[in-house]
Amino acid sequence: MTLRNALVIAVCLAASIVEATVPHLFHLRAARADLLLSVVLYLALNDEVVQGAALSLAAGYLSDLTSATPPCLYTVLAVLTFVVVRLAGSAIKTDGGIQSAVVAFAASLIHSSLAAVLFYFVAPGSQGVLLQFVPLFWSALATAIAAPAVFSVLRRLDAKLVPADGATLVR
Amino acid sequence: MRSLLRRYREPVFVAFLLAAPFAIFAARARKPMSHTLLDRAILALTAPVEKAIVLGVNGVADAWHGYVALRGVREENLRLRREVLRGQAQAAAMAEVKGENDRLKRLLEYADRTSPTRYLVAEVIAVGASPHSHVLRIARGTADGVAQGAPVLAPEGVVGQIAVAATHYADVQLILSPTSAVPAVSQRTRGRSTVKGVGDFTRCKLEYALRTDDLQEGDLLLTAGGPGFFPKGLPIGRVVNVQKRPTGMFTAADVVPAVNFSRLDEVMVVLGHVPAGPSVVNASTVGAQR
Repeated sequence: MTLRNALVIAVCLAASIVEATVPHLFHLRAARADLLLSVVLYLALNDEVVQGAALSLAAGYLSDLTSATPPCLYTVLAVLTFVVVRLAGSAIKTDGGIQSAVVAFAASLIHSSLAAVLFYFVAPGSQGVLLQFVPLFWSALATAIAAPAVFSVLRRLDAKLVPADGATLVR
Repeated sequence: MRSLLRRYREPVFVAFLLAAPFAIFAARARKPMSHTLLDRAILALTAPVEKAIVLGVNGVADAWHGYVALRGVREENLRLRREVLRGQAQAAAMAEVKGENDRLKRLLEYADRTSPTRYLVAEVIAVGASPHSHVLRIARGTADGVAQGAPVLAPEGVVGQIAVAATHYADVQLILSPTSAVPAVSQRTRGRSTVKGVGDFTRCKLEYALRTDDLQEGDLLLTAGGPGFFPKGLPIGRVVNVQKRPTGMFTAADVVPAVNFSRLDEVMVVLGHVPAGPSVVNASTVGAQR
Protein backbone atom coordinates (compact mmCIF):
# COMPACT_ATOMS: atom_id res chain seq x y z
CA MET A 1 0.00 0.00 0.00
CA THR A 2 1.38 3.38 -0.97
CA LEU A 3 1.53 6.30 1.40
CA ARG A 4 -1.07 8.07 -0.70
CA ASN A 5 -3.54 5.17 -0.39
CA ALA A 6 -2.97 5.03 3.36
CA LEU A 7 -3.65 8.76 3.62
CA VAL A 8 -6.82 8.49 1.52
CA ILE A 9 -8.04 5.78 3.89
CA ALA A 10 -7.15 8.03 6.82
CA VAL A 11 -9.22 10.80 5.17
CA CYS A 12 -12.08 8.28 4.80
CA LEU A 13 -11.83 7.39 8.51
CA ALA A 14 -11.85 11.08 9.45
CA ALA A 15 -14.82 11.67 7.13
CA SER A 16 -16.75 8.79 8.70
CA ILE A 17 -16.11 10.22 12.18
CA VAL A 18 -17.19 13.72 11.12
CA GLU A 19 -20.32 12.54 9.35
CA ALA A 20 -21.30 10.44 12.37
CA THR A 21 -20.74 13.11 15.04
CA VAL A 22 -21.76 16.41 13.40
CA PRO A 23 -25.42 15.44 12.78
CA HIS A 24 -25.63 14.27 16.40
CA LEU A 25 -24.07 17.44 17.82
CA PHE A 26 -26.22 19.76 15.70
CA HIS A 27 -29.38 17.62 15.98
CA LEU A 28 -29.68 17.28 12.22
CA ARG A 29 -32.48 15.03 11.10
CA ALA A 30 -32.11 14.71 7.37
CA ALA A 31 -29.44 17.18 6.26
CA ARG A 32 -26.59 14.75 6.78
CA ALA A 33 -23.65 15.11 4.43
CA ASP A 34 -22.33 11.91 2.89
CA LEU A 35 -18.62 12.79 2.99
CA LEU A 36 -17.50 9.31 1.99
CA LEU A 37 -19.54 9.59 -1.21
CA SER A 38 -17.60 12.78 -2.00
CA VAL A 39 -14.37 10.82 -1.53
CA VAL A 40 -15.64 8.16 -3.97
CA LEU A 41 -16.53 10.88 -6.50
CA TYR A 42 -13.07 12.37 -6.22
CA LEU A 43 -11.47 8.96 -6.70
CA ALA A 44 -13.67 8.23 -9.72
CA LEU A 45 -12.66 11.47 -11.37
CA ASN A 46 -8.96 11.43 -10.50
CA ASP A 47 -7.60 7.98 -9.74
CA GLU A 48 -6.42 5.07 -11.79
CA VAL A 49 -9.19 2.44 -12.14
CA VAL A 50 -7.84 -0.42 -10.00
CA GLN A 51 -6.59 1.83 -7.21
CA GLY A 52 -9.71 4.02 -7.23
CA ALA A 53 -12.11 1.07 -7.20
CA ALA A 54 -10.26 -0.54 -4.28
CA LEU A 55 -10.27 2.72 -2.32
CA SER A 56 -13.98 3.21 -3.13
CA LEU A 57 -14.62 -0.25 -1.73
CA ALA A 58 -12.86 0.81 1.47
CA ALA A 59 -14.93 4.01 1.65
CA GLY A 60 -18.15 2.04 1.13
CA TYR A 61 -17.11 -0.43 3.79
CA LEU A 62 -16.65 2.43 6.28
CA SER A 63 -20.11 3.75 5.35
CA ASP A 64 -21.53 0.33 6.08
CA LEU A 65 -19.78 0.25 9.42
CA THR A 66 -21.44 3.47 10.59
CA SER A 67 -24.89 2.81 9.20
CA ALA A 68 -25.98 -0.61 10.55
CA THR A 69 -27.82 -1.23 7.29
CA PRO A 70 -27.68 -4.69 5.67
CA PRO A 71 -24.02 -5.69 5.27
CA CYS A 72 -22.21 -4.40 2.18
CA LEU A 73 -25.11 -2.22 0.94
CA TYR A 74 -22.94 0.88 0.81
CA THR A 75 -19.87 -1.08 -0.30
CA VAL A 76 -21.73 -2.20 -3.44
CA LEU A 77 -23.07 1.30 -4.01
CA ALA A 78 -19.66 2.92 -3.54
CA VAL A 79 -18.03 0.70 -6.18
CA LEU A 80 -21.04 1.12 -8.47
CA THR A 81 -20.85 4.91 -8.06
CA PHE A 82 -17.15 4.76 -8.85
CA VAL A 83 -17.82 2.78 -12.05
CA VAL A 84 -20.69 4.98 -13.24
CA VAL A 85 -18.90 8.27 -12.54
CA ARG A 86 -15.73 6.87 -14.06
CA LEU A 87 -17.59 5.93 -17.25
CA ALA A 88 -19.18 9.37 -17.39
CA GLY A 89 -15.91 10.98 -16.35
CA SER A 90 -15.18 12.77 -19.60
CA ALA A 91 -18.52 14.58 -19.38
CA ILE A 92 -18.08 15.62 -15.76
CA LYS A 93 -15.99 18.57 -14.65
CA THR A 94 -15.21 19.38 -11.06
CA ASP A 95 -12.69 22.17 -11.43
CA GLY A 96 -14.55 24.70 -9.33
CA GLY A 97 -16.40 24.46 -6.03
CA ILE A 98 -19.80 24.94 -7.63
CA GLN A 99 -19.15 22.22 -10.22
CA SER A 100 -18.06 19.83 -7.48
CA ALA A 101 -21.19 20.68 -5.50
CA VAL A 102 -23.50 20.09 -8.47
CA VAL A 103 -21.87 16.73 -9.26
CA ALA A 104 -22.03 15.71 -5.59
CA PHE A 105 -25.70 16.73 -5.36
CA ALA A 106 -26.68 14.67 -8.41
CA ALA A 107 -24.54 11.72 -7.35
CA SER A 108 -25.95 11.79 -3.83
CA LEU A 109 -29.54 11.79 -5.10
CA ILE A 110 -28.87 8.85 -7.44
CA HIS A 111 -26.81 7.00 -4.81
CA SER A 112 -29.49 7.44 -2.12
CA SER A 113 -32.30 6.49 -4.51
CA LEU A 114 -30.44 3.30 -5.41
CA ALA A 115 -29.96 2.61 -1.70
CA ALA A 116 -33.71 3.13 -1.20
CA VAL A 117 -34.49 0.67 -3.99
CA LEU A 118 -32.15 -1.95 -2.55
CA PHE A 119 -33.60 -1.28 0.89
CA TYR A 120 -37.07 -1.83 -0.56
CA PHE A 121 -36.07 -5.31 -1.68
CA VAL A 122 -34.61 -6.11 1.73
CA ALA A 123 -37.57 -4.70 3.66
CA PRO A 124 -40.60 -5.16 1.37
CA GLY A 125 -42.89 -3.47 3.90
CA SER A 126 -41.10 -0.13 3.54
CA GLN A 127 -42.79 2.46 1.38
CA GLY A 128 -39.90 2.80 -1.00
CA VAL A 129 -38.34 5.75 -2.71
CA LEU A 130 -41.12 8.31 -2.91
CA LEU A 131 -41.78 8.75 0.80
CA GLN A 132 -38.11 9.13 1.53
CA PHE A 133 -37.44 11.71 -1.16
CA VAL A 134 -37.47 14.68 1.23
CA PRO A 135 -34.69 13.36 3.51
CA LEU A 136 -32.76 12.30 0.39
CA PHE A 137 -33.00 15.83 -0.97
CA TRP A 138 -31.69 17.40 2.24
CA SER A 139 -28.93 14.82 2.49
CA ALA A 140 -27.93 15.54 -1.13
CA LEU A 141 -27.90 19.26 -0.40
CA ALA A 142 -25.67 18.79 2.64
CA THR A 143 -23.39 16.51 0.61
CA ALA A 144 -23.19 19.16 -2.13
CA ILE A 145 -22.21 21.82 0.42
CA ALA A 146 -19.54 19.59 1.96
CA ALA A 147 -18.15 18.12 -1.28
CA PRO A 148 -15.92 21.08 -2.31
CA ALA A 149 -14.19 20.89 1.08
CA VAL A 150 -13.58 17.14 0.70
CA PHE A 151 -12.33 17.62 -2.87
CA SER A 152 -10.05 20.40 -1.68
CA VAL A 153 -8.53 18.22 1.08
CA LEU A 154 -7.88 15.38 -1.37
CA ARG A 155 -6.48 17.73 -4.04
CA ARG A 156 -4.05 19.20 -1.52
CA LEU A 157 -3.06 15.74 -0.40
CA ASP A 158 -2.41 14.70 -4.00
CA ALA A 159 -0.53 17.90 -4.79
CA LYS A 160 1.86 17.23 -1.94
CA LEU A 161 2.23 13.49 -2.37
CA VAL A 162 2.03 12.56 -6.03
CA PRO A 163 5.46 13.74 -7.14
CA ALA A 164 7.20 12.03 -4.24
CA ASP A 165 5.05 8.95 -4.02
CA GLY A 166 4.76 8.24 -7.71
CA ALA A 167 1.12 7.18 -7.60
CA THR A 168 -0.48 7.14 -11.00
CA LEU A 169 -3.27 9.61 -11.26
CA VAL A 170 -5.41 10.36 -14.26
CA ARG A 171 -5.74 14.09 -14.75
CA MET B 1 -5.40 -17.06 -21.08
CA ARG B 2 -2.84 -15.18 -19.04
CA SER B 3 -2.52 -12.50 -21.71
CA LEU B 4 -6.29 -12.25 -21.88
CA LEU B 5 -6.46 -11.73 -18.12
CA ARG B 6 -3.68 -9.17 -18.32
CA ARG B 7 -5.53 -7.38 -21.08
CA TYR B 8 -8.83 -7.23 -19.18
CA ARG B 9 -7.24 -6.87 -15.74
CA GLU B 10 -9.06 -3.65 -14.87
CA PRO B 11 -12.62 -4.65 -15.83
CA VAL B 12 -12.18 -8.06 -14.20
CA PHE B 13 -10.88 -6.50 -10.99
CA VAL B 14 -13.69 -3.92 -10.85
CA ALA B 15 -16.30 -6.59 -11.64
CA PHE B 16 -14.92 -8.65 -8.76
CA LEU B 17 -15.07 -5.65 -6.43
CA LEU B 18 -18.71 -5.20 -7.41
CA ALA B 19 -19.72 -8.85 -7.35
CA ALA B 20 -18.11 -9.85 -4.04
CA PRO B 21 -19.87 -7.28 -1.80
CA PHE B 22 -23.12 -7.76 -3.74
CA ALA B 23 -22.97 -11.49 -3.06
CA ILE B 24 -22.44 -10.79 0.66
CA PHE B 25 -25.30 -8.25 0.61
CA ALA B 26 -27.67 -10.67 -1.11
CA ALA B 27 -26.73 -13.54 1.18
CA ARG B 28 -26.79 -11.66 4.48
CA ALA B 29 -29.37 -8.90 3.97
CA ARG B 30 -32.02 -10.62 6.06
CA LYS B 31 -29.70 -12.17 8.60
CA PRO B 32 -28.68 -10.71 11.97
CA MET B 33 -25.89 -8.19 11.81
CA SER B 34 -22.55 -9.02 13.36
CA HIS B 35 -19.10 -7.50 13.61
CA THR B 36 -16.07 -9.11 12.01
CA LEU B 37 -12.60 -8.78 13.49
CA LEU B 38 -11.82 -5.95 11.07
CA ASP B 39 -15.08 -4.17 11.99
CA ARG B 40 -14.14 -4.38 15.66
CA ALA B 41 -10.64 -3.08 15.00
CA ILE B 42 -11.95 -0.06 13.07
CA LEU B 43 -14.63 0.55 15.67
CA ALA B 44 -11.97 0.48 18.38
CA LEU B 45 -10.16 3.16 16.40
CA THR B 46 -13.03 5.47 15.48
CA ALA B 47 -15.54 5.17 18.34
CA PRO B 48 -13.22 6.61 21.05
CA VAL B 49 -12.56 9.60 18.77
CA GLU B 50 -16.31 10.06 18.23
CA LYS B 51 -16.84 9.80 21.96
CA ALA B 52 -14.09 12.34 22.69
CA ILE B 53 -15.50 14.80 20.13
CA VAL B 54 -19.06 14.54 21.45
CA LEU B 55 -17.99 14.71 25.11
CA GLY B 56 -15.65 17.63 24.38
CA VAL B 57 -18.22 19.68 22.49
CA ASN B 58 -20.96 18.87 24.99
CA GLY B 59 -18.60 19.74 27.85
CA VAL B 60 -17.86 23.17 26.38
CA ALA B 61 -21.57 23.72 25.66
CA ASP B 62 -22.50 22.64 29.20
CA ALA B 63 -19.87 24.95 30.70
CA TRP B 64 -21.21 27.87 28.67
CA HIS B 65 -24.82 27.07 29.52
CA GLY B 66 -23.79 26.71 33.17
CA TYR B 67 -22.30 30.18 33.13
CA VAL B 68 -25.38 31.65 31.47
CA ALA B 69 -27.64 29.76 33.84
CA LEU B 70 -25.88 31.24 36.89
CA ARG B 71 -27.38 34.58 36.04
CA GLY B 72 -30.93 33.36 36.61
CA VAL B 73 -30.14 30.77 39.22
CA ARG B 74 -32.18 32.30 42.07
CA GLU B 75 -35.43 32.40 40.10
CA GLU B 76 -34.68 28.92 38.73
CA ASN B 77 -34.06 27.66 42.26
CA LEU B 78 -37.38 28.97 43.52
CA ARG B 79 -39.21 27.50 40.56
CA LEU B 80 -37.51 24.13 41.02
CA ARG B 81 -38.36 24.09 44.74
CA ARG B 82 -41.99 24.64 43.89
CA GLU B 83 -41.78 21.83 41.32
CA VAL B 84 -40.13 19.50 43.85
CA LEU B 85 -42.92 20.16 46.33
CA ARG B 86 -45.51 19.50 43.65
CA GLY B 87 -43.60 16.34 42.61
CA GLN B 88 -43.46 15.10 46.20
CA ALA B 89 -47.20 15.55 46.53
CA GLN B 90 -47.71 13.63 43.27
CA ALA B 91 -45.31 10.89 44.41
CA ALA B 92 -47.23 10.49 47.64
CA ALA B 93 -50.47 10.18 45.70
CA MET B 94 -48.85 7.67 43.32
CA ALA B 95 -47.58 5.60 46.26
CA GLU B 96 -51.11 5.52 47.59
CA VAL B 97 -52.42 4.34 44.21
CA LYS B 98 -49.63 1.75 43.95
CA GLY B 99 -50.44 0.40 47.39
CA GLU B 100 -54.07 0.13 46.45
CA ASN B 101 -53.11 -1.56 43.16
CA ASP B 102 -50.92 -4.09 45.01
CA ARG B 103 -53.73 -4.88 47.44
CA LEU B 104 -56.19 -5.38 44.59
CA LYS B 105 -53.71 -7.56 42.72
CA ARG B 106 -53.28 -9.74 45.78
CA LEU B 107 -57.04 -9.93 46.12
CA LEU B 108 -57.32 -11.11 42.54
CA GLU B 109 -54.40 -13.49 43.04
CA TYR B 110 -52.65 -11.83 40.15
CA ALA B 111 -49.13 -13.11 39.67
CA ASP B 112 -46.69 -10.51 38.44
CA ARG B 113 -44.56 -12.47 36.02
CA THR B 114 -42.40 -9.63 34.81
CA SER B 115 -38.79 -10.34 35.67
CA PRO B 116 -36.79 -7.62 37.46
CA THR B 117 -35.55 -5.29 34.75
CA ARG B 118 -32.26 -3.42 34.95
CA TYR B 119 -31.58 -0.30 32.96
CA LEU B 120 -28.17 0.87 31.83
CA VAL B 121 -27.79 4.54 30.94
CA ALA B 122 -25.73 4.99 27.78
CA GLU B 123 -24.41 8.11 26.11
CA VAL B 124 -25.11 8.62 22.41
CA ILE B 125 -21.83 9.34 20.67
CA ALA B 126 -22.69 9.18 16.96
CA VAL B 127 -25.48 8.71 14.46
CA GLY B 128 -25.65 7.12 11.02
CA ALA B 129 -24.88 9.69 8.35
CA SER B 130 -26.93 8.32 5.50
CA PRO B 131 -30.65 9.04 5.30
CA HIS B 132 -31.12 5.26 5.17
CA SER B 133 -29.26 4.51 8.35
CA HIS B 134 -31.54 4.94 11.31
CA VAL B 135 -28.93 4.11 13.86
CA LEU B 136 -27.32 5.58 16.98
CA ARG B 137 -23.96 4.57 18.39
CA ILE B 138 -23.80 4.37 22.18
CA ALA B 139 -20.78 4.22 24.45
CA ARG B 140 -21.76 0.91 26.06
CA GLY B 141 -21.01 -2.56 24.83
CA THR B 142 -20.85 -6.22 25.69
CA ALA B 143 -18.43 -5.39 28.52
CA ASP B 144 -21.30 -3.52 30.21
CA GLY B 145 -23.75 -6.34 29.64
CA VAL B 146 -25.31 -4.98 26.46
CA ALA B 147 -26.53 -7.78 24.19
CA GLN B 148 -27.75 -7.86 20.62
CA GLY B 149 -31.50 -7.37 20.46
CA ALA B 150 -31.70 -5.61 23.83
CA PRO B 151 -34.44 -2.94 23.89
CA VAL B 152 -33.30 0.68 24.09
CA LEU B 153 -35.50 3.34 25.67
CA ALA B 154 -35.63 7.05 26.39
CA PRO B 155 -37.71 8.66 29.17
CA GLU B 156 -40.33 9.52 26.53
CA GLY B 157 -40.62 6.00 25.11
CA VAL B 158 -39.18 3.33 22.86
CA VAL B 159 -36.01 4.13 20.88
CA GLY B 160 -35.02 0.85 19.23
CA GLN B 161 -32.97 -2.28 19.70
CA ILE B 162 -29.28 -3.12 19.80
CA ALA B 163 -28.43 -4.13 16.25
CA VAL B 164 -24.81 -4.99 16.83
CA ALA B 165 -22.63 -4.75 19.92
CA ALA B 166 -18.87 -4.47 20.27
CA THR B 167 -16.92 -4.62 23.54
CA HIS B 168 -17.38 -0.97 24.52
CA TYR B 169 -19.78 0.33 21.87
CA ALA B 170 -23.06 -0.70 20.32
CA ASP B 171 -25.25 0.39 17.42
CA VAL B 172 -28.93 0.93 18.08
CA GLN B 173 -31.37 0.35 15.22
CA LEU B 174 -34.17 2.90 15.66
CA ILE B 175 -37.84 1.95 15.39
CA LEU B 176 -37.94 4.34 12.40
CA SER B 177 -35.93 1.92 10.29
CA PRO B 178 -37.86 0.16 7.51
CA THR B 179 -36.50 -3.13 8.86
CA SER B 180 -38.05 -2.57 12.28
CA ALA B 181 -41.53 -3.43 13.52
CA VAL B 182 -42.83 -3.24 17.08
CA PRO B 183 -45.94 -5.04 18.36
CA ALA B 184 -48.22 -2.40 19.88
CA VAL B 185 -51.39 -2.08 21.87
CA SER B 186 -53.67 0.95 22.05
CA GLN B 187 -53.84 2.35 25.57
CA ARG B 188 -57.52 3.30 25.15
CA THR B 189 -58.99 0.40 23.17
CA ARG B 190 -56.40 -2.31 24.00
CA GLY B 191 -56.50 -3.24 20.30
CA ARG B 192 -53.30 -4.79 19.01
CA SER B 193 -51.34 -3.64 15.98
CA THR B 194 -47.79 -3.27 14.68
CA VAL B 195 -45.81 -0.03 14.43
CA LYS B 196 -43.52 -0.24 11.43
CA GLY B 197 -40.70 2.10 10.48
CA VAL B 198 -40.77 3.65 7.02
CA GLY B 199 -37.46 5.49 7.16
CA ASP B 200 -39.05 8.83 8.04
CA PHE B 201 -37.77 10.60 11.16
CA THR B 202 -41.17 12.06 12.01
CA ARG B 203 -43.53 9.14 11.66
CA CYS B 204 -44.02 5.41 11.45
CA LYS B 205 -46.78 3.37 9.86
CA LEU B 206 -49.49 1.49 11.75
CA GLU B 207 -50.16 -1.98 10.42
CA TYR B 208 -52.58 -4.77 11.27
CA ALA B 209 -54.88 -2.52 13.34
CA LEU B 210 -58.28 -4.14 13.05
CA ARG B 211 -60.99 -1.98 11.48
CA THR B 212 -63.30 -2.86 14.35
CA ASP B 213 -60.86 -1.42 16.95
CA ASP B 214 -62.28 2.15 16.89
CA LEU B 215 -58.83 3.67 16.62
CA GLN B 216 -58.89 7.47 16.91
CA GLU B 217 -56.54 10.40 16.29
CA GLY B 218 -54.23 10.93 19.26
CA ASP B 219 -54.58 7.43 20.72
CA LEU B 220 -51.43 6.47 22.61
CA LEU B 221 -49.77 3.23 21.51
CA LEU B 222 -47.80 1.16 24.00
CA THR B 223 -45.53 -1.81 23.51
CA ALA B 224 -47.52 -5.04 23.59
CA GLY B 225 -44.75 -7.03 25.22
CA GLY B 226 -44.32 -10.73 24.70
CA PRO B 227 -41.24 -12.93 24.56
CA GLY B 228 -38.53 -11.48 22.36
CA PHE B 229 -40.05 -8.01 22.09
CA PHE B 230 -39.94 -4.81 24.11
CA PRO B 231 -41.11 -4.91 27.72
CA LYS B 232 -44.84 -4.31 27.98
CA GLY B 233 -46.43 -0.88 28.41
CA LEU B 234 -43.76 1.49 27.07
CA PRO B 235 -44.99 4.47 25.01
CA ILE B 236 -44.30 4.14 21.26
CA GLY B 237 -46.20 7.13 19.88
CA ARG B 238 -49.56 8.66 19.03
CA VAL B 239 -51.86 7.69 16.19
CA VAL B 240 -52.46 10.28 13.45
CA ASN B 241 -54.00 10.29 9.94
CA VAL B 242 -56.46 7.52 10.72
CA GLN B 243 -58.06 6.35 7.48
CA LYS B 244 -61.26 4.46 8.15
CA ARG B 245 -62.06 2.24 5.20
CA PRO B 246 -65.51 0.87 4.49
CA THR B 247 -64.07 -2.53 3.57
CA GLY B 248 -61.08 -4.66 4.46
CA MET B 249 -59.78 -6.00 7.75
CA PHE B 250 -57.40 -3.25 8.83
CA THR B 251 -57.37 0.49 9.49
CA ALA B 252 -54.54 2.50 7.95
CA ALA B 253 -52.86 5.17 10.11
CA ASP B 254 -49.55 6.84 10.89
CA VAL B 255 -47.78 7.03 14.23
CA VAL B 256 -45.86 10.04 15.52
CA PRO B 257 -43.08 8.57 17.70
CA ALA B 258 -43.02 9.59 21.35
CA VAL B 259 -39.27 10.13 21.15
CA ASN B 260 -37.58 12.99 19.32
CA PHE B 261 -34.79 10.97 17.72
CA SER B 262 -32.72 13.94 16.62
CA ARG B 263 -32.32 15.13 20.22
CA LEU B 264 -31.22 12.03 22.05
CA ASP B 265 -28.13 12.50 24.19
CA GLU B 266 -28.66 9.58 26.55
CA VAL B 267 -30.68 6.40 26.26
CA MET B 268 -31.37 3.43 28.53
CA VAL B 269 -30.57 -0.13 27.54
CA VAL B 270 -32.77 -2.78 29.11
CA LEU B 271 -30.47 -5.43 30.53
CA GLY B 272 -32.88 -7.75 32.26
CA HIS B 273 -34.90 -8.40 29.13
CA VAL B 274 -34.18 -11.55 27.15
CA PRO B 275 -34.51 -10.94 23.41
CA ALA B 276 -35.67 -13.73 21.10
CA GLY B 277 -33.08 -13.15 18.43
CA PRO B 278 -29.96 -11.13 17.87
CA SER B 279 -31.41 -8.81 15.23
CA VAL B 280 -34.01 -6.09 15.28
CA VAL B 281 -37.60 -7.20 15.20
CA ASN B 282 -38.24 -8.12 11.64
CA ALA B 283 -41.34 -6.85 9.91
CA SER B 284 -42.00 -10.12 8.15
CA THR B 285 -41.69 -12.03 11.42
CA VAL B 286 -44.31 -9.86 13.09
CA GLY B 287 -46.58 -10.06 10.10
CA ALA B 288 -46.29 -13.83 10.03
CA GLN B 289 -47.18 -14.10 13.70
CA ARG B 290 -50.49 -12.43 13.27
